[in-house]
Amino acid sequence: MRVILSARPRKNPFIPVEAEGIVPARFLQPAEGITVAVGNRDRPLTDVFEVAIEGTATDAAGVEVVLRGDTSRVKRVGEYMEAGKIRVERDIGMHCGNFMSGGEIEILGNADGWLGREMRGGRILCHGNASHYCGSGYRGEKHGMRGGYLEVKGDAGDFTAEYLAGGEVIIHGNCGDMPGVEMKAGTLTIMGSCSRPCGNMTGGTCTILGTVAGMLPTFRRAGTAMRESGGISLTRFEGDVANRGKGTIFIRDWQYTL
Amino acid sequence: MIIRDVICPFCACLCDDLDVHVEEGKVTAVDNACDLGSHKFLTDHRMKGPVRRTASGWQEITLEEAIAETVELLSNAERPLLYGWSSTCGEAQSAGVHLAERVGGVIDATTSVCHGPSILAIQEVGHPGCTLGQVKNRANVVVYWGCNPMHAHPRHLSRYTTYADGFFVRNAFKERKVIVADVRGTDSTNVADEFIRLQPGGDYAVLGALRAIVRGKGDVVPEEVAGVSREQLFRIADLCKSARYGAFFFGMGLTQTAGKYKNVRNAIELVDELSRHTKWTLTPMRGHFNVYGFNEVCTWMTGYPFAVDFARGMAFYNPGETTAVDILARKECDMCLVVASDPAAHFPAEAVEHLGSIPVVQLDPFPNLTTAFSRIQIPVAVSGIDAEGTAYRMDGVPLRLRKVLDRGYPEDAMILKEITRRIADGGGP
Amino acid sequence: MTRLLIKNAYVIDPLNGIRGEVMDIAVKDGWIVESVHDGAEVIDARGCLTLPGGIDSHTHICGTKVNFGRYMMPEDMRAGRTQRRGVMHSTSGYSVPTTYGNSYRYSTMGYTSVLEGAMAPLEARHTHEEFAATPLQDTMANTLFDGNWPVMEAVRDRDVKRAAAIVAWTLAAVKGFAIKLTNPGGSECWGWGKNVKCIHETVPYFEVSPAEIIETLIRANEMLRLPHSVHLHCNNLGVPGNYQCTIGSMDLAPDLNPDRQSLYLTHVQFHAYGGTSWKDICSRAEPVAHAVNRKPQVTIDMGQMMFGKTTTMTADGPMEFNLYRLHHNKWSNHDVELETTSGIIPVYYSKTSVVNCVMWAIGLELALLVASPWQCLLATDNPNGGPFIKYPEIIALLMSRRYREEELRTLAPEALSRITLPSLDRELDWHDIAVMTRAGQARALGIQSIGKGHLAPGAEADIAIYPIRVDETDPSRQFRDVIRAFQKTSWTIKRGRPVARDGEILVEGTNKTVWVKPKVPDQYDMGKDPEFARNFDRYYTVRMSNYPVQELYLQRSLCMESEAQL
Repeated sequence: MRVILSARPRKNPFIPVEAEGIVPARFLQPAEGITVAVGNRDRPLTDVFEVAIEGTATDAAGVEVVLRGDTSRVKRVGEYMEAGKIRVERDIGMHCGNFMSGGEIEILGNADGWLGREMRGGRILCHGNASHYCGSGYRGEKHGMRGGYLEVKGDAGDFTAEYLAGGEVIIHGNCGDMPGVEMKAGTLTIMGSCSRPCGNMTGGTCTILGTVAGMLPTFRRAGTAMRESGGISLTRFEGDVANRGKGTIFIRDWQYTL
Repeated sequence: MIIRDVICPFCACLCDDLDVHVEEGKVTAVDNACDLGSHKFLTDHRMKGPVRRTASGWQEITLEEAIAETVELLSNAERPLLYGWSSTCGEAQSAGVHLAERVGGVIDATTSVCHGPSILAIQEVGHPGCTLGQVKNRANVVVYWGCNPMHAHPRHLSRYTTYADGFFVRNAFKERKVIVADVRGTDSTNVADEFIRLQPGGDYAVLGALRAIVRGKGDVVPEEVAGVSREQLFRIADLCKSARYGAFFFGMGLTQTAGKYKNVRNAIELVDELSRHTKWTLTPMRGHFNVYGFNEVCTWMTGYPFAVDFARGMAFYNPGETTAVDILARKECDMCLVVASDPAAHFPAEAVEHLGSIPVVQLDPFPNLTTAFSRIQIPVAVSGIDAEGTAYRMDGVPLRLRKVLDRGYPEDAMILKEITRRIADGGGP
Repeated sequence: MTRLLIKNAYVIDPLNGIRGEVMDIAVKDGWIVESVHDGAEVIDARGCLTLPGGIDSHTHICGTKVNFGRYMMPEDMRAGRTQRRGVMHSTSGYSVPTTYGNSYRYSTMGYTSVLEGAMAPLEARHTHEEFAATPLQDTMANTLFDGNWPVMEAVRDRDVKRAAAIVAWTLAAVKGFAIKLTNPGGSECWGWGKNVKCIHETVPYFEVSPAEIIETLIRANEMLRLPHSVHLHCNNLGVPGNYQCTIGSMDLAPDLNPDRQSLYLTHVQFHAYGGTSWKDICSRAEPVAHAVNRKPQVTIDMGQMMFGKTTTMTADGPMEFNLYRLHHNKWSNHDVELETTSGIIPVYYSKTSVVNCVMWAIGLELALLVASPWQCLLATDNPNGGPFIKYPEIIALLMSRRYREEELRTLAPEALSRITLPSLDRELDWHDIAVMTRAGQARALGIQSIGKGHLAPGAEADIAIYPIRVDETDPSRQFRDVIRAFQKTSWTIKRGRPVARDGEILVEGTNKTVWVKPKVPDQYDMGKDPEFARNFDRYYTVRMSNYPVQELYLQRSLCMESEAQL
């Protein structure tokens, strides 16, 4: 089944839309009952999107939801998703793929903050850039993303993979400040550069193939390692010593100044 | 007439020993206050009455008209923002939260551009704190990190720290050691026994290094961290570990530099680490006199201390998304109610720009930059001068502000309750 | 005003000796009366269990440290959110709900009065502000004196009357209800990062011991003729082997009051541990219960621990720091100058932890081994042992051996040899439960005289109708029905007005706060004592004139006055 949701033009396109009802499984039932919140008002899905459904499906895995038009302010798409596919043709709003545990989300444009927040499984691929808190957790929780696979072809913002507790995050471009801060398990790979990675790390592995600015002084150098693909020599650090940490960072190039 | 033990409604020191002289309905003198506090009592630059902006200029309107129009604006809004709150009393703050809940809007306070990061850090690692009298009576080491109390909290040192004699510290000036950390020399660093001068942005690294040293893992620390020598780092760590009681105060130097809440978190974790050796506490130097009060009120009512979004009928909290600056900068809100603050003066340009394109209603005793952006301004009584109310000091101690004179202005709490009542009766959104 | 007639109520009213009788209850203007004329609203209780409104004698729901617990736990907040609906405000929170959350949930369970477990006098205003936002329960505040400097000086000088005078002034000034001692002596030590290990160790500088503080204040309490007794959170909470300290504390209590206990020990489960370390910790509920059985002057509450996530928050600062060192969770601390301290840390009680399993068993053992339900009240030290929404499960565990056995089978096997619970057959009955959840509290707190905790004419019309037929239910087998029934009343009536119906809240509510004002002779009035005032202004950081809490903070105020015998 293919569900094509085309965003209608809005008089005020800046009022956020909360669309936690847009998950593949939901479309196994008639779309009429689905509501979204536009600011403080609940509206039928069809008020905000033109809905076109092609084919049928017997389970969520057989459903693909396509989002078209300006969806840059549509939040919480794919929240708690367990199976199926969501494809966003342009930009997507905050909290895309919150609590996802299965299925696939593909974003052709950019993703706003908190992409894949608290993911447990499934796959997210963002072709563009991701904003802050990509692959992270929620305020106050001890664990963020616990599983799954999150890949961003462009850059990511600050606090990428904060509280990472499992799964894999790959950023092809650069990250902002403090990626991997508080991470305890899982794998974070940054192909570009970033600043001040992995503060307070207690476990897990982070690899940075670009340059690290503001390298934290509380990581202990522990030899070198070769990265398999590309044959790049990386320096290995252990820490964060300030926090009884037993994590590992592999870095190609770094400086202590910011 | 002299009214004694008046509580100063300026900064979060909430000094409660002011003597205010009142003659013929005006404040003529203030004893014991610092310049900032005195100035608030002595200036009288108030709006006369409610006004509405029209194409041809400001028009005087009645309170009833102002309330009626505000009710309509809030009822029609799809994403109203209710912002400010720090310079009014808890009774108004509580009314504001009820109103935000009723209209399905976002309520946020000046915390989000000030000590919001401190709260975020506390939400990660907790707050090892105390009331200020513990510091006054016991502390023999005081740290001021990234703040300039001589300017922003002028009586802090004489009431609570450097110069404040206490039960166990009979000669504070001699017995207390003061450490000040900043990126440049200030009047506060001038009175320090130890000045830690660090490079901008280096707080996180320096605090991390101190943690490692206190843990006994100082060998990992390089020769210099953000401009601070290894030797000074070890000396500071030693001074802190051997304190009988240490008190750590901090300000915008930590909360508003890169990393923000992570800087504060590192400071808290340093204090936690020191607490394994001796007694240490930590206190954020809150700015406005009742900003902490808003956090308290908002928390017991909604569960969250600021940046609460009621669009879905229940409280949602996510700083970075539900904070006022972000909502304005992203042009998300279609109406704004500003109470007891001046966002136009403090917010980044793109946020202020959006403020100029939506209807703004302001409740404030004094005209300020935000007034220029408002469609309606309703002058209200000043909490602590012509209105009573509850305020919370930077350490959480709640006091009741006094009313020293009457100016005939309505109280913001009353107006907010009336607005809420009318919206509830009228059905609301 | 209102007239209400509840028909066909199956009433258990222990304070009036009613053990299960079907009767009508007439209500007029918020009070229970002999009868009402026509025109009264009628509620048909359909023969269901009808009890006086529930009273929680020890719960942490309002005040500085509770609010600390809230804002440091946004993840707890999002775990229990409800929308605004009708008169109900939106709520948030699981183990530390917002004030409306607490009030609605308690009301849904039929609770109409609560005693806030700990209030620091300096911050009392905050507690009262939160009381006003907990509108469906009448409130009282335990007022902390465990680290109070002027009191400790009076204790050191063996001046009971001065200690009593300070307490009298303070309680009236801050609208407190009772004397609370949490880790007495230890609070002051914690001001330096230290603690006391036993009740005879002395506090640095002040040179008084916890035992002296407790003894002096018990006598002061009775001199002041306060409705409640001293309310004690013993030293050494949570320490393996601490049961000796607990029994030692009980031994300090003389029998000074014919109407109620002279010493109330709270959350005793946390204080009934044997062993020497976490490795060999075991239950000592038996000797503790036997001590209670021998001492009519002592009443305890269980402090039952229930498995799952919760937040600990107490005025026991050093204990909370030790939990931080053990679990490395986020930890908050708040020392209050000249008065007391507090600490907050989230915990998770797990069935795979032998220690936690022992703790769970101890609370139940206490309730089953203490002979009289009047002496062992039901509580979890909310939220320390678990959120109060778990009370119905505790009731079921006490009434059903079968339920206990079912639960015992899911525990860490190693725990079984450390506890007595498997061998305890006793099943409490409906009357016992009514005592342990309301009548006993009313007596222990001394509030029957103001109409709480019973249903005879003259009582305040706080009534809870639970959807269960006692004559059709065998609680021993049908424990799930028991749980369900106590989770949600058919009707909760407060001051003669229905406030909750099947979980739906019907009114905004304005509660009453009960406080005490013992009247002392002039020479004992601290408000006129120059030495007291001088030290106050010198060492506190607030002026004495700004310290008292104005009565306007109380939605409705009920002051229980007494003539102090000084």
